[in-house]
Amino acid sequence: MAMRDLVEVAGFPLALGRLYHAESHMWVVTGQPDRVRVGMDALGVETSGTLAQVSFLPAGSAIAAGRPFGQLEAAKFVGPLLSPVSGTLLATNEQVALDAALLERDPYGQGWLMEARVTEPEGDLAALLADPEEIRAWFAAKVADYKLKGVLAQ
Amino acid sequence: MADQLRVIDFGLSSPLRSQSSWHAVAYGVSAGTPATMSFTRPAAPYVCLGYHRGIDEVDGEYCREQQLPVLRRMVGGGPVYLDTHQLFFQICVPASSVPAVRAQALFKLLEPAVAAFCALGVPAVLDEDQEICVGDRKICGHGAGQIEDAVVVCGNLIERFDYERATRVLALADAEQAEQTLALMRRFVAATPVDPVAFQAAVIDAYASALGLEPAPGELTEAECLALVDLDERFSGEAWTKGADRPAPSSVRGPSSNQVKVRAGVFTYAGAFNGARVSASVVKGILQRVRITDAKLNGSTREAERALLGASLQSVPKVLAGFGEAGGRIAAAFAAADPGRI
Repeated sequence: MAMRDLVEVAGFPLALGRLYHAESHMWVVTGQPDRVRVGMDALGVETSGTLAQVSFLPAGSAIAAGRPFGQLEAAKFVGPLLSPVSGTLLATNEQVALDAALLERDPYGQGWLMEARVTEPEGDLAALLADPEEIRAWFAAKVADYKLKGVLAQ
Repeated sequence: MADQLRVIDFGLSSPLRSQSSWHAVAYGVSAGTPATMSFTRPAAPYVCLGYHRGIDEVDGEYCREQQLPVLRRMVGGGPVYLDTHQLFFQICVPASSVPAVRAQALFKLLEPAVAAFCALGVPAVLDEDQEICVGDRKICGHGAGQIEDAVVVCGNLIERFDYERATRVLALADAEQAEQTLALMRRFVAATPVDPVAFQAAVIDAYASALGLEPAPGELTEAECLALVDLDERFSGEAWTKGADRPAPSSVRGPSSNQVKVRAGVFTYAGAFNGARVSASVVKGILQRVRITDAKLNGSTREAERALLGASLQSVPKVLAGFGEAGGRIAAAFAAADPGRI
């Protein structure tokens, strides 16, 4: 997996050198061919509120881009963890299932969520943000938007 | 013409139906029925537990004695006591119609509830913790979640609140924690005795206006009625109520501690370490009431309690440094207290 390459953007840590799904705030690290590791970026974690519990589909499950690969309970909201890719769920981070706060403490590292084999890497991965400058700009714009809408404290 | 906001008033419902009915609506909305506003009032008291929460957070023995059913919902939040003096509303919309970022979606779906309270002259606000409050008192419990492709937010109008029972149904460490929890509930949770009919109308107006929809009375579809039967069976099952077989969230309770949230930033804590026991009320990270038991502290127990009053949780080890070995034990008993826990 790639190095973390952490920078700070608009007051939040952002790891470059990986791909991002703009709406779900999921990051994707490509390593071995067709195999990816997926996690949630720091802004996605922050806007979720205090985390209570993370649960996953079992390894071996078929997953689809935009569909759930698990569930997250944060503050008072129970909602899906949306996969940025289609394929097969190979592994989930059981440490996060045991201690959801790990996702808050280290979203780009030990707080990773799942690993998957991607069925159509060309299609799924090409749809993600990849250019570091584009990622920085997207992330900064999201922070500003969430502050404007009251989702993040000013 | 604006799209429709279906309005269903389930009226007085059994505890089971007061949960299963709106879950059935969520499955319907997920499958394409219009956004729906629903209402229900429990015909009998019961306890309801958030989707991921441990059944051990409820005092099962007391609930059995009192014949209070315990039901698990599919949205978040801790264990709560419900009765006929609470009118529940649920807004259910397609997931595609709200922002993917859950905090933003929650914000969008809670603001109309605040507007409804305000329309009746209640100076409610959505505070920084996204709780509906008047001053520092929470006036509306809420829970939210995504069920398949529908997002649902539930809330209530608390016409009268049974503080004693709401405390008693919780699994608490001892009488001291129970007393402190009751005191915090009385202080930080408030009823809003407005006309429920007017409130219901205000809620419908506020959500219809915020979502740009036209309210229209409706009823469950055939598919939702079938879902309702399934949900009745699922929610009545012991396995569902017990919850998934997974470890209790580490953020909820430690091996020798019990933390009970009253509202955001307000909780009671009971902890023990090597013969020292503590019970405390914590408000925004500050200790507001402390009870210590440690046989080896001799006559200094009250002195240690006084020293801790007004101190922050983080400063506990420092404050107790002057109390020798016993101070260290007491500080260790506080170690699992965490204002960040849900």
